[in-house]
Amino acid sequence: MLRNILIRLLQAVLVLLGAALLVFIMLRIIPGNPAAVLMGEHADTAVIEKMTKELGLDQPVHVQLIHYLAGALRGDFGTSYSLGKPVSQLMASAFSNTLILALMASAFAWLVGIISGIIAAVKKNSILDHLFMGVSLLGVSMPVFMAAMVLQFFFSYKLKIFPIAGTQSFAGFILPAVALGWNSAGSVARLVRSTLLEILEEDYIDTARAKGRRQMGVLILHAMRNAMLPVITMMAIQLSGMLSGAVLTETIFSINGIGRLAVQAITGRDIPLLQGTVLFSAALVILGNFLADSLYHVLDPRIRKEA
Amino acid sequence: MKLPNRSRQIAEEFEKRQQEQENKQQESKQQANREYLKNQIAEEETFFTLIRRLARENKLAVVSFFVILLIILGAVLAPILAPYSFSDMDLLHRLNPPGAQHLLGTDEAGRDILTRLLYGARVSLLTGVVPTVMSMVIGAILGVISGSYGGWLDALIMRLADIMLAFPSMLLAMVIMYMLGDGLINVFLTLALVNWASVARIVRAQALQLKKTEYVEAARVIGVSRTKIMFRHLLPNCLPTLIVLFTLNVPSAILTESSLSFLGLGLQPPAASWGLMVNAGRQYLYMAPWVSLVPGAAIMVCVLAFNFLGDGLRDVLDPHLRK
Amino acid sequence: MLRSERAGGKTLEIRHLNTSFFTMKGEARVVNDVSLDVYPGRITGIVGESGCGKSMTARSVMGLVKYPGKVVGGEILLGGVDMAALSEKERCALRGSEISMIFQEPMTSLNPLMKVGRQVEETIRIHEKVTRAEARERTEAMFTQVGISDAGQRMECYPHQLSGGLRQRVMIAMAMILKPKLLIADEPTTALDVTVEAQILRLMRSLCDSGTSILLISHNLGVIAQVCDYVYVMYAGRVVEQADTFTLFDHPVHPYTKGLLKAASSIRSDAARLDTIPGVVPDLLHLPPGCSFSPRCEQCMEQCVKEVPDMTFAGAQDGPAGLSAHLVRCFLAGVPPKGDGI
Repeated sequence: MLRNILIRLLQAVLVLLGAALLVFIMLRIIPGNPAAVLMGEHADTAVIEKMTKELGLDQPVHVQLIHYLAGALRGDFGTSYSLGKPVSQLMASAFSNTLILALMASAFAWLVGIISGIIAAVKKNSILDHLFMGVSLLGVSMPVFMAAMVLQFFFSYKLKIFPIAGTQSFAGFILPAVALGWNSAGSVARLVRSTLLEILEEDYIDTARAKGRRQMGVLILHAMRNAMLPVITMMAIQLSGMLSGAVLTETIFSINGIGRLAVQAITGRDIPLLQGTVLFSAALVILGNFLADSLYHVLDPRIRKEA
Repeated sequence: MKLPNRSRQIAEEFEKRQQEQENKQQESKQQANREYLKNQIAEEETFFTLIRRLARENKLAVVSFFVILLIILGAVLAPILAPYSFSDMDLLHRLNPPGAQHLLGTDEAGRDILTRLLYGARVSLLTGVVPTVMSMVIGAILGVISGSYGGWLDALIMRLADIMLAFPSMLLAMVIMYMLGDGLINVFLTLALVNWASVARIVRAQALQLKKTEYVEAARVIGVSRTKIMFRHLLPNCLPTLIVLFTLNVPSAILTESSLSFLGLGLQPPAASWGLMVNAGRQYLYMAPWVSLVPGAAIMVCVLAFNFLGDGLRDVLDPHLRK
Repeated sequence: MLRSERAGGKTLEIRHLNTSFFTMKGEARVVNDVSLDVYPGRITGIVGESGCGKSMTARSVMGLVKYPGKVVGGEILLGGVDMAALSEKERCALRGSEISMIFQEPMTSLNPLMKVGRQVEETIRIHEKVTRAEARERTEAMFTQVGISDAGQRMECYPHQLSGGLRQRVMIAMAMILKPKLLIADEPTTALDVTVEAQILRLMRSLCDSGTSILLISHNLGVIAQVCDYVYVMYAGRVVEQADTFTLFDHPVHPYTKGLLKAASSIRSDAARLDTIPGVVPDLLHLPPGCSFSPRCEQCMEQCVKEVPDMTFAGAQDGPAGLSAHLVRCFLAGVPPKGDGI
């Protein structure tokens, strides 16, 4: 089992390296000298040349790449062109906001998704089931920005319950978390329902009932325990996705997180910052996938033994 | 006397064996052909009965099908249906609420929202369909190559897919858009590049499964070339999966495009996609919520319809794809 | 008559049980007016083809009928208590302690994510307030009793690590741990190979000898013949014949029972032609108005098509050694047998 995890870990590292390479190449393909772009149209050639040297852009690409990777390993992603601060520092402060948002959104998504999924499965084909599944499909299909704007319009503007934007207070995170979690809540609910329905047909559910477990006990101790396997995988992947920056939600609610940083990097033509945020996100997604995979192996004794 | 006799015997036996082998080959070839034909017929049967089965099992999917048809019709007939001109501004009637004159109100420049919605449907549908077709073609070909060749080629393609899937799709789209620059074609390219990897993975998995079926084995035994097996046997049998994937990937492409446009990173005005319209109306959200919420709702309805249809098709065509 | 009086001496007494499936196409009566007794310290068998309602009878007793099925009528008296009239909560208190059940598929009947020992302990801890250590101890003892060697070690296994036979033993341990009055075994050996089957059957016999009554359900006449004291033959939801095992095998009366025995014996004797009963089991949604076996019966009479025969005595009105008499649901019952034994 340990060997298996090590192999997967190695694979994850390789994929991450590949991702770094891909981002690096993509951002170097862009025609034009970033230094020139940075200095504006009317800059002196001498100034541009000096800037080019300062940024290390005069060196061959492979040297730049090695420099970059070596720096990234030490946690140094260069200095942001537009904000003038180290990228790692910018990302660190942004990440705390993203972290709060992602955790709240996940908590919302899991709570709502799991509970409504269970209810829908247990009361299959009832009005509640149809209602929950309809709403969840709406959740899956609703663009995040749409959800965000509708929430903003009603709860901030009309009802004035929550602040429109910003993260000065904890309350400022609630609407963004709901807007962001809405989507995942829908997919979690659908997954919980379909898995649970399958599992409730299993023979060991009959066994549990034959033992004298009440419905609640059967549902929680036997059915949910088995149904959680795929759900946990999905949740881990979703969480890593949210952590890697909710671009739209953060932009709409003006939350200084990783996603908004990436948008700022693009509008400011800030290659180090963009490179840093994208790589950071990729690392989180890869980590999330790895953890989900490993978690599955830990939780399911059948796979554990085969491995 | 004995020797020539013996050699004749051997020769005869050899001939007989050869004959037998040939017969066997003929037989297996015929069998493969029959199998293939049978498969083909089964395929057509499902195709003909598909709609009926869909109608019986999932009415919502059929309704969605007609909703999509309606949207397509609206987009195609936009010049005829639209009550106003696409770009005529009417500064006297800015941000008018929905009413008799403007069914869905007017935007910040006094343009009729219904009109723009119809024209916007063209762009949004195109950005849904074109890149999806592109990504399906790329993904299907790479996936089937990966599945049938195996070895280092498989490893290469799959690791590449892993890398593509390591990025959050929104961020990846943003970076590619940044790399390529603005423009409709670049939006297409971006969305295609973002989505091919998941298609390739699914097709590969299916190709691996199909490779083990008897009729593919039979085809290989009689010496059908690998390329032929790939395009004659593997790909056509992935078709149901691909159809389902198509209906599920179109809405996600539409969503990604509208999100990009919403951030101002996708299409640029004066093009009109639904996402752009939402973005433009965003600053008037409190004064005139319809300006952004109406196109937002349009995106939602369209995506919802595709998702319903995809769900329905999946149940009918490919129950294994269900997660 | 008082209930307790009527239930006198019987572990389980089912009276006029009706269970139906309510489908889109209509009501399917899967258990149709079934009356059945289980005697203390005996193994009672139910035999019939798949879909004849034998499993559903068992599930009705346990209260485990799944949607869209429902027990619509009848009494299920367990020691004088009507299971059918109990609330779900009260039934849960009896399940596992007074009455328990094992299933056909030992492969899928255990929770794959729980160690088997824990699953057995669970039964104790649902019904009794005991410490984990005590539950463990009792489980280990039970494992040994049902013939699992290395009990302590096996308790730490997950189901997928055990063979089918061992898993079925675990299931039996789970069902027997609280010494229930009645054990229902639904095709307990069907999924096992023959040698394991014999071991499990022997185990069930010994459990029965130590005081638990068993209701054994099987489609396999061989299994029934090996261990049962009394047998009910079911067809299309109804009991068509009932007798002690010897009588049933020696002097079957109902044409269906005869057919079953003939089919079974032709397999055993390696006959050139396999004897089968012609025709198929009728659709439970559209039962024939008369005897449900009439469409397949070679001795079908006019009367058989029109009305459902009642259970009538096929011989003496008293069964052997406290068991019921030989009853059969056939109009031919009055007609003397023409030496049709096997």
